[in-house]
Amino acid sequence: MSHRYAGISWNPQKRAYDLMVAAGVVLYLVTFLALSSLLHPAATAETLLIRGFGSCAFLLLNVVLCIGPLCRLDSRYLPLLYNRRHLGVTTFLLGMVHGAFSLFQLHTLGDSDPLISLFTANRNYQSLADFPFQPLGFLALLILFLMSATSHDFWLRNLTPRVWKSLHMLVYAAYGLLVAHVTLGLLQSERSPWLVAAMGTSLALVLSLHVAAARKERELDDSTPKAQEENYVKVCAVSEIPEKCAKLVSLRGERVAIFKFDGKISALSNVCRHQNGPLGEGRIIDGCVTCPWHGFQYQPESGAAPEPFTEKVSTFRTKLVDGCVWLDPHPLPPGTYIEPSRIGRS
Amino acid sequence: MLEHAVAFLVRAYYAYTLAGCLFAILFVIRGVQMVDVQARGAGVGFRLLIFPGVIAFWPLLLRRWFEADGEAPAERNAHR
Repeated sequence: MSHRYAGISWNPQKRAYDLMVAAGVVLYLVTFLALSSLLHPAATAETLLIRGFGSCAFLLLNVVLCIGPLCRLDSRYLPLLYNRRHLGVTTFLLGMVHGAFSLFQLHTLGDSDPLISLFTANRNYQSLADFPFQPLGFLALLILFLMSATSHDFWLRNLTPRVWKSLHMLVYAAYGLLVAHVTLGLLQSERSPWLVAAMGTSLALVLSLHVAAARKERELDDSTPKAQEENYVKVCAVSEIPEKCAKLVSLRGERVAIFKFDGKISALSNVCRHQNGPLGEGRIIDGCVTCPWHGFQYQPESGAAPEPFTEKVSTFRTKLVDGCVWLDPHPLPPGTYIEPSRIGRS
Repeated sequence: MLEHAVAFLVRAYYAYTLAGCLFAILFVIRGVQMVDVQARGAGVGFRLLIFPGVIAFWPLLLRRWFEADGEAPAERNAHR
């Protein structure tokens, strides 16, 4: 949360997460290099390193892309999302090693500049089978670099959350470029059906998880209020909201999180100011609504982060009638205090 | 034709990156705390972490440094 920037705000969870990622990467690389040197004894060490780092980066990018929809489908996956940005940076670093080795091995021996050679050595841009796949990887790496370089909260604040989020949505463009890069690379150098099958499976997994998560979100957005009266709409029964958790409703295209805590009801915008995380999927911890993504906190009555932090989200007026929650769908300015509705007084 | 176009783009890329590197050195030492109050007193680790991004976005940060008021740019979108 904002106060004064630090390089990385380490805590035991982040350390454990990073240690597991590092161990997984080392294990993958060692296994890949050992198996590849047995299966392809004629391949040079540079070639094996290029393939090892490249495949590891691509695999990790698949994992990164699956985490978001998995968490929307099942909250048990949320711990994976907590430090996803380190996973993204690791993906870029592995891709950079792959790219640097490739550029050095394939494009530094001629007269022309390595980058010019990368784009001009193979000019079969009209041919699908011989299409130059290396520039696609370079462009994907450029996007991954921009994402890694702006992963610190300084960039979120200074680019504004909307621009930052748009920039980071380019991960899908990078993924598309990498799918083409890997597929064309495999077509031109390998004929193994196993590799093609693995590629197809990973693509199908990423796509199907995104479709399933989008369907679930669509169901929420399409749900209509049960009744309407003056400025208020009836949204749910109090009993539908778990204690210290929220019920999510969608009104006029806005998602609102209705929290129940200590015999009271308060409603906030569902969107965390940090990275647009879903506040309604979080819990009330120490009296504050806590975002499930990175732990940003807001007071449920005002939508304001506790001092000294400064983030604020919009609040909504609520009232209780016959055990049901009624909500005024007009958002109030971020940080506006609203007296919570008291359960048992309706 | 292709070689000339690529050579032009690659040289422009090198020039942009070189200018970004020079700007980034000044920015992480002096400019960042003027652009963003939360960077005041921040350590070396933070300054090193933002260095690559400053190289990439140096024209934007140069403009913000000139207009510096220490506040983050305001968002004009709806609360969602």
